[in-house]
Amino acid sequence: MQSLERALGRERVISTPDELIAYEFDATIERGMPQAVVFPESTEQVAAAVRVAHRAGVPVIPRGAGTGLSGGAVAAAGGVVVALTRMKRVLKIDVVDRVAVVEPGVVNIDLSRAAAPYGLYYAPDPSSQRACTIGGNVAENAGGPHCLAMGTTTNHVLGLELVLADGEVIEVGGHSRDVAGYDLTGAFVGSEGTLAIATKIIVRLSRIPEATRTLLAIFDQIDDASGAVSAIIAAGMVPSALEMMDRNIIRAVEPVLRCGYPLDAEAVLLIEVDGLEEDTVEQAEAIDAICRRHGAREVRLAREAADRELLWAGRKSSISALGRLYPNYYVLDGVVPRTRLPDVLRQVYAVAGRYGLAVANVFHAGDGNLHPNLLFDEREPGVTAKVLDAGAEIMRLCVDAGGSITGEHGVGVEKRDFMAWLFSGDDLYAMSRLKTAFKAGEDFNPCKAFPTHAGCGEVTQAQVRRTAAAIGPDLYV
Amino acid sequence: MSEAVTAHRVDEFVAAISQPDAPAVFRDGLAAYAVDGLLPEVAVTVTHTDHVRLNLSEAQKHGLAVIPFGGGTHSGLGNVPTAYDIALSTVGLDRIIAHEPADMTVTVEAGVPLATLQAVLAHHGQFLPLDPPGGGGATVGGVLAANAQGALRHAFGTARDWLIGVKVVQADGTLVKSGGRVVKNVAGYDMGKLYVGSLGSLGVIVEATFKLAPLPAAVAAIGVTCPSPHAAAMLLFAAHDAGLALHAAELLSPAAGRAVLGDARWSALVRVAGRARAVERTLRELREIAGGLRATYDLRDPAQTARAWDDAFAPGALSLRVSVLPRSVAGAIEEMEAALGGAAALLSSTLGAGLIRARVRPESDAEAGMLVGAVRDIAQRHDGALVVEAAAPAVKRAIDVFGPARPDFAIMRRLKQALDPSRTLAPGRFAGGL
Ligand SMILES: Cc1cc2nc3c(=O)[nH]c(=O)nc-3n(C[C@H](O)[C@H](O)[C@H](O)COP(=O)(O)OP(=O)(O)OC[C@H]3O[C@@H](n4cnc5c(N)ncnc54)[C@H](O)[C@@H]3O)c2cc1C
Repeated sequence: MQSLERALGRERVISTPDELIAYEFDATIERGMPQAVVFPESTEQVAAAVRVAHRAGVPVIPRGAGTGLSGGAVAAAGGVVVALTRMKRVLKIDVVDRVAVVEPGVVNIDLSRAAAPYGLYYAPDPSSQRACTIGGNVAENAGGPHCLAMGTTTNHVLGLELVLADGEVIEVGGHSRDVAGYDLTGAFVGSEGTLAIATKIIVRLSRIPEATRTLLAIFDQIDDASGAVSAIIAAGMVPSALEMMDRNIIRAVEPVLRCGYPLDAEAVLLIEVDGLEEDTVEQAEAIDAICRRHGAREVRLAREAADRELLWAGRKSSISALGRLYPNYYVLDGVVPRTRLPDVLRQVYAVAGRYGLAVANVFHAGDGNLHPNLLFDEREPGVTAKVLDAGAEIMRLCVDAGGSITGEHGVGVEKRDFMAWLFSGDDLYAMSRLKTAFKAGEDFNPCKAFPTHAGCGEVTQAQVRRTAAAIGPDLYV
Repeated sequence: MSEAVTAHRVDEFVAAISQPDAPAVFRDGLAAYAVDGLLPEVAVTVTHTDHVRLNLSEAQKHGLAVIPFGGGTHSGLGNVPTAYDIALSTVGLDRIIAHEPADMTVTVEAGVPLATLQAVLAHHGQFLPLDPPGGGGATVGGVLAANAQGALRHAFGTARDWLIGVKVVQADGTLVKSGGRVVKNVAGYDMGKLYVGSLGSLGVIVEATFKLAPLPAAVAAIGVTCPSPHAAAMLLFAAHDAGLALHAAELLSPAAGRAVLGDARWSALVRVAGRARAVERTLRELREIAGGLRATYDLRDPAQTARAWDDAFAPGALSLRVSVLPRSVAGAIEEMEAALGGAAALLSSTLGAGLIRARVRPESDAEAGMLVGAVRDIAQRHDGALVVEAAAPAVKRAIDVFGPARPDFAIMRRLKQALDPSRTLAPGRFAGGL
């Protein structure tokens, strides 16, 4: 502790239980108390803190805004949390080459705001974009509603400055994709804070499109809505966003935000197209027709920017609005091939029903990226175990449908025991070699992303492990 | 190692892999597998992933070096290998495993020719937006290993942006995968990124899954001849900034203009593609922008220009790739033209990506070496980098074709050491001699 304070200055270290409590968790139900949290303001300070921890053999856990939904920033085995929130400068916006250089603590939406005067924006837009950091986005390979056409974080990151687990500072990638050698930038994105700490990030910016059209398609049958999703994709269209919300989401959101989602609908699709004015007209017409052909009872086109924002307000605050229906919710993140949506959704409702749990679905339908939210009241005895079991079953449904256990939130602490459903021991061993290459030892953000052993004994974990084993057998797809 | 020892090990290796239902081994016709003038001792052709596993584990056991071979269209890439005993041809891994048109994904074995795959996809109005020049005979695995790319780079990025899952046989014969078959997936490290462009130095790609793009409803090609590279760059920047519907946007040197458009002036070659109304609007605006720059605007036959560009920029005797920031392209390409002009050089730049390709026909190795040096200086002056994509072995031996080692080379070296400790896979060929 003293060495941390010596290295960084007292005002950049906290270590009393009262102060630490806010850093015991992220946006999940995982918990883990660190011994200290440091708030470096420069790469050198990050490196200094990491060196101190490394020498003391204490775990290091990088942390952005703590909005993560898989426990990635939780000190699962104690240690020093390196919070990057004070490194929040946009260092450079290069308008001609459409590149920005930022510190990791820059909040996602602040980058787009900084670029807006130049007609540019940063495309990946997680629903948490008002809070989450670019560093956290890089670590999770964050997606968002507009990733269907624009790709996820990995498609927009060109280079990084990294502090390795022993304090060495190294740059990977650069201002372009064409640097010689292995694509270490690509391998780092989505590594869930387990390889190194990003202290500088070079990203691509995109041109703000000339025109945007937003449609709301209203369905009385959820299967019809899923069918419309597949049909839009199959018709050769790539809308910029294609989001679905089911009845429980509508009921949580509409009474408060009044964004015009009909309370008696079973599902709504929020669809956006952008590009050249003429092209958005052509696409909107085609999508309108497809939705109607697939049983939409109504399709509305938002004409004004204000109408569009209202439609999106409902989508972007869907998850937080769930608090109005139930005291607690558990957000799941799974992926299935788009054509399997109708049938997997049916099974999701069936699983929740079997456990006596309510479920609300709001998700990136165009990518097949499901977010079932299990709703519960944690005061009800035994309910947490039921929620975790139902969650595990739903993840297994996604795997059995040929999909994945996470599309954007990461494996984290939560799902590492499900990794064996997707990957063999050889696969996982090969991945672990990347840690060797980055010199990230056992103490660098331990207990994350991969099935691990002792020393990571949280309460929820034991439960999940039992469930994963019960659902087994391992499936290698 | 003495030749006799090697020959003995090769014999042992051949005996070990000669089992029923085994890969086929050849000791003749090896010229087809030459890499930088080096011939392997044997060539092995496989039709099954298990063959690849057997081949690699036995090669490793016998201390032999393996270079995976696809269509051989990009075999000029990389440094001269330090050892080359076995050519492993993957063209027999030629199955399209799953194409789900409605999901817009496809899973293929590595030996499937890109052209075959595109034909199958086109049937369903889809394509994989990768178009390496001279890539007619390229296999999917080869395109990935070489990170080969063409003019579509402008709108669609590179293979890394389309690969969603990959299976690879490692040096010790274990089969490993990463990613999967769904378009969005963050489970596990994204190892696929590392294999793209790795020239087979980390593992042999045996299967790949891609997301796909819809084929555009309408396509047009425009050639605009300009008074200078700067005017051509201005046109391309303006088109890009206006968000026009472009699939490709190349800046051509006068010699390239002659080869592709039949007009020996600096020019912009643009492929307009999309839905009908977007294409109409784009053509209208391009004509206006060209008018403002006093440039000549011509509608071209899209298939014919694409073919001509492809022919002109297929890997040649001396192929160079310079990467600079987009803002520096016009300046850099002008200097390159001056430095290379005498050697019948063709230059083409994907401006938005800051990429400049050069195809040069030097008269001698000495001249080639000099030209490489000159272009490397130009690249460095513009804060860019040069990769020599093809050159005579003597020219390559004098340099690292990837340029000077980068600050992150230590990580790369540890990665190679971790995944291929025995240096079985294409030793010496990758950046920094990995
Ligand atoms: C309401 C809500 C909606 C959300 N919507 C989306 C969505 O649409 N799409 C989506 O993808 N996610 C979404 N998320 C999840 C979350 O916001 C993202 O994962 C985000 O990227 C996390 O950023 P953060 O700054 O909060 O990171 P944290 O939660 O602090 O950390 C996340 C991980 O990143 C690591 N990390 C953080 N900074 C660094 C760094 N500089 N270097 C190395 N590692 C680092 C941490 O160790 C940890 O493993 C949502 C979350 C909430 C609460």
